[in-house]
Amino acid sequence: MIEVDGLSKRFGKTQAVAGLSFRVEPGTITGFLGPNGAGKSTTLRSVLGLVHPDAGSATVLGVPYRQLDQPLQQVGAVLEASEVHPGRSGRNHLRVQAAAAGLPDSRVAEVLALVELTAAATRRVKGYSLGMRQRLGLATALLGDPEVLVLDEPANGLDPAGIRWLRDLLRSLAAEGRTILVSSHVLSEVAQTADHVVIIHRGRLIQQAAMADVLAGASGSTRVRTPDAERLRTLLGAQGVSVSEAEDGALLASVATERIGELAAANGIVLHELSVEQATLEEVFLELTGGETTE
Amino acid sequence: MTAVVRSELLKIRTTRGWWAYLVVLVGLVGIGAAAEVGSRTLDERSGLDFQFALVDLIGITSLLAIILGITIVTSEFRHGTITPTLLATPGRERVLAGKAIAGVLVAILFAVLAILVVLVVASIYTSIDGGQLEFAHGDVAERAASNVLGVVLWLLMGVAIGSVVQSQVAALVGSLVWLFLVETLLVGLFSLLDVDAVAEYLPFHALDGADGTGGDNLLAYGPALAVTLGWIAVLGAAGVVRTSRRDIT
Repeated sequence: MIEVDGLSKRFGKTQAVAGLSFRVEPGTITGFLGPNGAGKSTTLRSVLGLVHPDAGSATVLGVPYRQLDQPLQQVGAVLEASEVHPGRSGRNHLRVQAAAAGLPDSRVAEVLALVELTAAATRRVKGYSLGMRQRLGLATALLGDPEVLVLDEPANGLDPAGIRWLRDLLRSLAAEGRTILVSSHVLSEVAQTADHVVIIHRGRLIQQAAMADVLAGASGSTRVRTPDAERLRTLLGAQGVSVSEAEDGALLASVATERIGELAAANGIVLHELSVEQATLEEVFLELTGGETTE
Repeated sequence: MTAVVRSELLKIRTTRGWWAYLVVLVGLVGIGAAAEVGSRTLDERSGLDFQFALVDLIGITSLLAIILGITIVTSEFRHGTITPTLLATPGRERVLAGKAIAGVLVAILFAVLAILVVLVVASIYTSIDGGQLEFAHGDVAERAASNVLGVVLWLLMGVAIGSVVQSQVAALVGSLVWLFLVETLLVGLFSLLDVDAVAEYLPFHALDGADGTGGDNLLAYGPALAVTLGWIAVLGAAGVVRTSRRDIT
């Protein structure tokens, strides 16, 4: 559906993307993650025919973007929210796109209603908030009712209510069988929405897998609360288990619950709590990208 | 292609700049027509000279046409709207062709609007002292037509320059500096070097000769047209290459 194969792109001295390959399967929401500067935007822009790769290829629906018969009816894209003429009204921006795609003006009214921007439609984009621009970008992407959506940081600038609205919108779009590739640095958002993730770092693929597998495969930890924390800690340390302390004084150990239970019983240590701490996508992400944050 | 042209026309009409063009056009041409009538006696006004001078006022819109031509290309890069434009129409040469066609249509509209303003203002002014405006001669229509073609050529030159330079400020300022300063300096230089005729081939000298109104030190109409089209073709081809190769980031 979207296929990136051996993609490389260099800008001056910066190797933005280096031999990146991944596939986005039809009917899935795929989160596209990586720290800032990882090459996400360059990759998405290559997929959309805006950037010429130095090597490799990127195809959508089996062909390079430029060879699509009716691009807006096949692929919808949201890139930077600022790519609208500030002096044009939101409605006229959409009419310009609709005209180029041969779509009727009635469709403009429909997408304006869908993103709840009808009331501001005749105002100039200059006066829009970042959140309104994001909505306008989404409306632009949805104009042609495309089966593939490519979204670059669509949650940027949205308030919590807007983020929730976006999540619901993406879910309903995916439920209609559309393919969605969405990059984001708001990892918790992706964790709640995407069913697959592609993680890149320094222009290279770090991991591509189903979200559930990514989280399951990550090293979670075991949480222990005991009045005898010092002794347990020493015992675990003697067995080569790394232990850290949670904010509430509990211990976090990178070892299975069974081992700790057995160790405590053998040494007569009282346990008040013994549980599995599931790794979050954020932790997995930091682990995979060597601790570099997205911001 | 029709869809691309429709979209481009809509772009031109949906920003405030559009109204500025129309206001400036009506104002400048109107003032020009009034001044032209006012500076002639009743007798002079029946002559072909006067009628030519009136239709030559169409040429005032040339400057607006080249600014519009530059702007319809460079504004896309300035505001980043080139991204949605290319998402809708991935073929970059198709986008530039659409802009050129839409621009030509607007240039013709400018010229026709200028003719209307000239007719209205000149009729009113001539009627004040009891005269009557007449465009008797077929030559006047021909002169008007070559003026309209001239405006179209200025527009196309603007689109070509815009597609090569791409930076809005550089293209607008550069063109005006070239037009009013550099070509004048080059004329002087060529004169010192005793190769005066070379100056006639400079882009804006060629354009000046291609509006059919004549002038000193300009190529004859036919050759001026050919040289102008040559400049537009060369700059336009360079613009297509540069636009096609550019990474839109």
